[in-house]
Amino acid sequence: MTDRRQQPGASRAAGIELPRANAVIEPFRIKAVEPIPLLSPGERATRIEQAHYNLFRLDADHVTFDLLTDSGTGAMSANQWAGIMAGDESYAGARSFRRFERVVQDLTGKPHVIPTHQGRSAEALLMKALVRPGELVPGNTHFDTTRANIESAGAAALDLPAEVDADPLFPGNLDLDALKQTLEKNATRIPLVILTITNNSAGGLPVSAANVRKTKALLNPHGIPLFIDAARFAENAYFIKHREPGYSDRTVEQIAREIFALADGVLMSAKKDAFGNIGGFLALGDDSLAEAIRTQMVITEGFPTYGGLAGRDLEALAIGLREILEESYLAYRIRSVEYFGEGIEQAGYPVLRPFGGHAVYIDAGKALPHLGAGQFPGQALAVAFYQSIGMRTVEIGSVMFGRRNRETGEEIPAPHELLRLAMPRRVYTQSHVDYMVEMLAHLRPHLNSLPGYRFTYQAEVLRHFTAKFQPIVTPV
Amino acid sequence: MSTTEEPPRRSWAEPFKIKMVEPIRATSFEERHSALRDAGYNTFLLRSEEVYIDLLTDSGTNAMSDRQWAGMMLGDEAYAGSRNFYHLERAVQQHYGFPYVVPTHQGRGAEHLISKVLIHPGDVIPGNMYFTTTRLHQELAGGTFADVIIDEAHDATSEHPFKGNVDLGKLDALVQRVGAERIPYVSVAATVNMAGGQPISLENLRKVRAYCQEHGIRIILDATRAVENAWFIRQREPGRGEQSIATILRELCACADGCTMSGKKDLMVNIGGFLAVNDPEVFEEARNLVVIYEGLHTYGGLAGRDMEAMARGIREAVQEDHIRARIGQVEYVGEKLRRAGIPIVLPVGGHAIYIDARRFLPHLSQDQFPAQALAAALYLEAGVRAMERGIVSAGRDPVSGEHYYPRLELIRLTFPRRVYTQAHCDVAAEAICALYARRERIRGLKMVYEPKYLRFFQARFEPLGDSVYESA
Repeated sequence: MTDRRQQPGASRAAGIELPRANAVIEPFRIKAVEPIPLLSPGERATRIEQAHYNLFRLDADHVTFDLLTDSGTGAMSANQWAGIMAGDESYAGARSFRRFERVVQDLTGKPHVIPTHQGRSAEALLMKALVRPGELVPGNTHFDTTRANIESAGAAALDLPAEVDADPLFPGNLDLDALKQTLEKNATRIPLVILTITNNSAGGLPVSAANVRKTKALLNPHGIPLFIDAARFAENAYFIKHREPGYSDRTVEQIAREIFALADGVLMSAKKDAFGNIGGFLALGDDSLAEAIRTQMVITEGFPTYGGLAGRDLEALAIGLREILEESYLAYRIRSVEYFGEGIEQAGYPVLRPFGGHAVYIDAGKALPHLGAGQFPGQALAVAFYQSIGMRTVEIGSVMFGRRNRETGEEIPAPHELLRLAMPRRVYTQSHVDYMVEMLAHLRPHLNSLPGYRFTYQAEVLRHFTAKFQPIVTPV
Repeated sequence: MSTTEEPPRRSWAEPFKIKMVEPIRATSFEERHSALRDAGYNTFLLRSEEVYIDLLTDSGTNAMSDRQWAGMMLGDEAYAGSRNFYHLERAVQQHYGFPYVVPTHQGRGAEHLISKVLIHPGDVIPGNMYFTTTRLHQELAGGTFADVIIDEAHDATSEHPFKGNVDLGKLDALVQRVGAERIPYVSVAATVNMAGGQPISLENLRKVRAYCQEHGIRIILDATRAVENAWFIRQREPGRGEQSIATILRELCACADGCTMSGKKDLMVNIGGFLAVNDPEVFEEARNLVVIYEGLHTYGGLAGRDMEAMARGIREAVQEDHIRARIGQVEYVGEKLRRAGIPIVLPVGGHAIYIDARRFLPHLSQDQFPAQALAAALYLEAGVRAMERGIVSAGRDPVSGEHYYPRLELIRLTFPRRVYTQAHCDVAAEAICALYARRERIRGLKMVYEPKYLRFFQARFEPLGDSVYESA
C-alpha cells in the first residue's frame, strides 16, 4: 500500500509546497466512545489518599487519563468487534483458533502456534520447557515478567543492552561484543537468547534488523536458539523502515517477516501490537519443543486450541495482527507518541530521548532534584500528576526496582528514577494530549514544593503493585 | 382437577427466546470417517466444524444472554482497578458469601493458586472423587489425593439421590491414619463431575463441616456447578423445597472456607474463573501469586468485559426459571435414553448424561478403551461429539506408572447451557439408540501416543480392527 505519511509535508497539488503538519491525523474515525471520569481536585485528593498514594490502588473510575500501560488498554476496531461476535467457543478445534493459527503462521513463518491467555504465560511455558537450573539466559533487556519466569526456572537472566551511543538510532540493541564474550565463557549453559522488540525496559526503543541478524550469526555456531519477544514488533519494524539503511522501500510487513525468519521462535503478549484486550502466543519451529509445551500447557493455561482464551479473543487477535501492519496507523502511532514527548519537553520536563514507540519517560530524579532516591521522586511526580491533572502514570525507579535490605531495613535505590507515560493504542486524541501538556506546563513551576514519600507497607515481591505510602511532611 | 395420573409431559419450554444464532453443518459418514482418523480417534482433536452437535463439554460453550453481551460492551480495560472487577467482586460476595475474591482466567488458574498456597509436600487432600485438573494441581504442589466419596458414587447402577456425598467414616479413617496436621483441606466438589454430575447434600456437607472444625481442617469447595447442586438439594432434600436457589447456594458456601470456580459452567461465560476465600492471609498470599501466573489481582488474566459478563452471569445463574430449564433439558434426554434401555448413570446429573461403556460394550475389556471407542463410534454415527471419562481420563499412578483402572468407564454427553434446542436433543438421543442397536460392531482401540500430563486431551489411538465402527 502507499503511505502518504512517508513524504512529510507532501502536498504538491498545483505546484504548492506545504510544510509538514504538526497535527497528528488518526487514520480512523471513532465508532464507539467510553465516557471518562472528570473529578474535582478535592475528589482526587481524597481518592489518592484512600489509595495510600499508590496509583495501582486507584479505581479506574477515578482516573481521567489512564497512562498506566499500553497493555490490553487499546481500542479495538469495528472489524475486531465483529470478530468478537463471531467467536467459535467450542472447547476443542474451534474455527477461531484455526483462523488465528493461520495468521500467526503466515506472519512468523513458524508452523506451531500455541495460544496463551497472556504474554507472561507464554514466557512461563517456554522457560519451563527450555531452561534448567543454573543456566543463563542473555537478552537485550529482559522485561520484568520475563526475568521473573527465567529466575523461577532456576536460571539467571542476563541483560546485555548496547551502549546508548553505540547506535543512536537503535538504542534498544543487544551489545554484540558482550554476547560474544558471554558465549565464549558460557555457551553450554545458555539454552536460548531473547531479543525484546521494541526494547520495553529500555524505553520502548527499537532494535535494528542488523542487530538481530548479527545476534543470530553469533548463536549459530553454538546451536543456541534465538527467540523474539514480539510484543511491539510492528512498532519496531516501522522504526527499521524509517531509520535503517536499505529498508525504506520495504513494507513493515516484509520487515516483520524478515525479523521473524531470523528467529527460532516468537513469544508475544498480544495485548500490545495485536490490539487485544487479552491474549498471547508462542510460535515455534521445533516440533518436539511444541509437543512438550502443548503437554504442559493444559495444566495451567487450557487446551492447546484455546490456551485459556475465549474463541472470540482469538478471532479479534487474528484481525488485530493484520491491522497493526497498516503503515498509516504506525505513522500515526509513532508520531503521536513523539508529539506528546515534544510537548512534555517544551513544558519544561526532562524527558528521555529518543522517544520510543509506546511511551514517554520523564526523568523524575532530574525534575525533582530536591528529593533523593530514598524519597521516591518518581512516585512524588506520579502522585502530583494525578492530583492536579487526573493522569495515572507509573513510577519506574526505586519503588519498582529498588530493594529493601531485609536485615537493616535500608532501601537500596534503583539506577534511574523515571516516570513512564504509556499511550494506549487508538484511545486518546490529540486534544487529550494537548490538554495534558498544557496542564503539565502549569504544574511545572510548583515541582520544587512536592513532598517525597515513604513506605508504610510493602510486600516481599513485586511490591509496587500493592504498596502503601505516606508523604514526608517537612517542617517549614 | 382430575385425580387420575397425568401422562408424562413431553413438552417444556426454555425461559428465553433466541436473539442470535450460529450456523451448524451436518456432515457425511465419509467426511466423519476421515476426520476421526485424522483426530487419532480422540474427539478432543476434532475440528469444531467437523462436529454437528457438540456435547464435548459444558465448559465455556454456553450462550450468553443479551444482558451479558451488553456487559461485554461495557468492559473497562484499565490494567488496575477496572470497575468490572468491583462488579464481579460484589456479585461473588453477595451470592457465594466469601469476602475476598481473586479473579483468574479459568478454574484451573484458581486451583493452581489454592494448591500452591495451602498444600505442602507430603500433604494429603481428601475429596469427594477426583477431578482431572484439581488432582493434578494437588500432586504438582506435592500433595496426594485421597478419595473419600461414598461407595455408591462408584456404582453406575446405584440410584442414591446424593452420590456426591462424603463418607465420613472414610474421612475419619484417613485423619486417624495420616493426622489432621497433614491435611490442609478437604476438597469438596458440588456437583461431582466424575461421578456423573452428582450432588452432595447440605446435610452431608454440614456434617463434614462439623467434623473438620473439630479437627482444624479447612474445606475448599469446587463451586463450579454449585448452582446446579443447589437445585438438586431443593428437589431431593427434606425441608428445602421452599427455599430459593440463591439461599441454598449461600448455605452451601457457608460450610466452606473458600471456593475455586470455573465461571465457564454455572455462570454461562466463555472464559473466566475465580478464587474466593474467608481468610485474609490466604487471600494476601493468593493475590501475590496471581500476578505471576494470571495477571494483576484486579483482572487476573481476564479482559474487563469478561469479568462483567461473569458478574452478570452470577445473577442469571440463580434465577429459578433458568436453572429449572437447564436441568430439565438434561433430564428430558436422560429419560428418553433410560426408556430406550440405554445403560446410563442414574440418577441423571445436572450438566451431563453419562453412558456406561462397560454395559454398552460388554465385549470390550477396559484396556481396549471402551469409552474412548464409544465416543468415536457415536461421532461416526451422527456427528455428535462426546467425551471419554474412563481409563484414559484417569491417567497413570505417578508412583507405579500403571494405568489407574477406574470403576466407572463412561462417556459424557455434556449439555452447553442455552445452546441446543429440544430438536437437537432428539437427534442426539435417536443416534445413541441407533448405535445401541448395532453395538456389537464397535471395536476397541489401542493408544499410540500418550502425553505425560492430562493425557485424555491429546492422546491418539488406532482401531484394533479395520475400523472402530462399521455403519449399516
